[in-house]
Amino acid sequence: MIEFNEIKKIVEALIFASDSPITANRINNIITELDSTQINSIINELNAEYDQNEHAFKIVRLSGGFQFVTRSEYAHYIKQYYKGRAKSKLSRAALETLAIIAFKQPISRPEIDSIRGVNCDGVVKNLLERNLIYISGRSEQVGRALLYSTTPDFLQYFGVNEITDLPKPKEIEELLGSAQEELPFSSDELDGKIAEKISTLDESDIIDDEVE
Amino acid sequence: MAYRVKLQNFEGPLDLLLFLIKKNEVDIYDIPIAEITSQYLEYVEIIKLLDLESAGEFILLAATLIRIKAKMLLPRPQTDEEEEIIDPRMELVSRLLEYKKFKELAFKLSDLEEQRSKIFPRGYYHEIEHEPGGEIELDEDVTLFSLISAFKQVLDQIPKDTFHHIEDIQISLEEQIEYILNRLVNGKPITFFELVSHIRDRLIIVVTFIALLELIKRGELIARQSKSFGEIWIVRKIDRV
Repeated sequence: MIEFNEIKKIVEALIFASDSPITANRINNIITELDSTQINSIINELNAEYDQNEHAFKIVRLSGGFQFVTRSEYAHYIKQYYKGRAKSKLSRAALETLAIIAFKQPISRPEIDSIRGVNCDGVVKNLLERNLIYISGRSEQVGRALLYSTTPDFLQYFGVNEITDLPKPKEIEELLGSAQEELPFSSDELDGKIAEKISTLDESDIIDDEVE
Repeated sequence: MAYRVKLQNFEGPLDLLLFLIKKNEVDIYDIPIAEITSQYLEYVEIIKLLDLESAGEFILLAATLIRIKAKMLLPRPQTDEEEEIIDPRMELVSRLLEYKKFKELAFKLSDLEEQRSKIFPRGYYHEIEHEPGGEIELDEDVTLFSLISAFKQVLDQIPKDTFHHIEDIQISLEEQIEYILNRLVNGKPITFFELVSHIRDRLIIVVTFIALLELIKRGELIARQSKSFGEIWIVRKIDRV
């Protein structure tokens, strides 16, 4: 039986040695003595220690795993170290498109186009190249359009652990109440509520031939 | 990509419409269609001047606005089965709301991006792309196909000779092996392009390429590239030096 303190150090060593976020499962497979419910408290303890000793790094939960990162206070200096080699930030068009894909995945390009009201071909290609989205299938509809979903890199890029950690659209929060936080949500639900709000009528009439 | 002048301020027709609604401080559920349409058309005129490629999308929405305006002028409003009056703006409003939702989300994502860009994992170096001029990190293995495609590029770069002249070319595989090894004698990596760029004769390039493959086969050289489809770098195997 390994002592708890020793287990904590092994966890620390594993996260330190891993070059990508290491999942609780992987850690568990290596240290079988570890009770999987303990991992979170171990991480919290380690972080508290780093805090107390004023270390320049901490452990974060990223894309389903744990990873050491530097504290944001030191970004200024590290950026100088990597100067000229950092990736460019995403454009607003790219962010909008990603927001749509993240919450409606899997989704086809025509659907994205119709929400944004512009052709998103170039943006989608760019996001594919940056590996923030991937082709996750084909639509059952006529034309069998390709469907897009977000990748683990997407979670990494925005520094979140899982897709449900993303900020939610305001309307959804209002409608579902803050207690319930499930995502990706059904868009029909939302559409229904919007329709209610606007009260008057049904929507068959206007749009049919204009979207094309 | 089209050269965009000032249009980046508007991500599209819906964005422009949201901007006008906000600017005029009107209720999104009760858009004064006539007023907003005429303002919208003024912007579209400018957009047409600046950016033909995306103007089509703006004009499409202009057509919708004009149609809604026309419907609202009809003396007898349309009704649904339950005799409820159909507001011609309804469909547009729900599209606007849907778009607005994601527009706001995009801002939140942008905040996350900003926060995330301030923390650095270990090994961050390997994630980022190498800009030209930076240090070369040779870590990706080269496949035969990428060697061949580099070879093809070199061949394509040779100016086409329109004259036919016959010459006895004195070239042997051994000579080219010698040549490659000599070029690499100081231990610095060179690219395949550098290796053959001064050679004007197809046959010599072909022989040099075969010599290169031979050396790789013998294990005397290693070919690496920094990323897929990147330049191919040739290095002498270190343990032989």
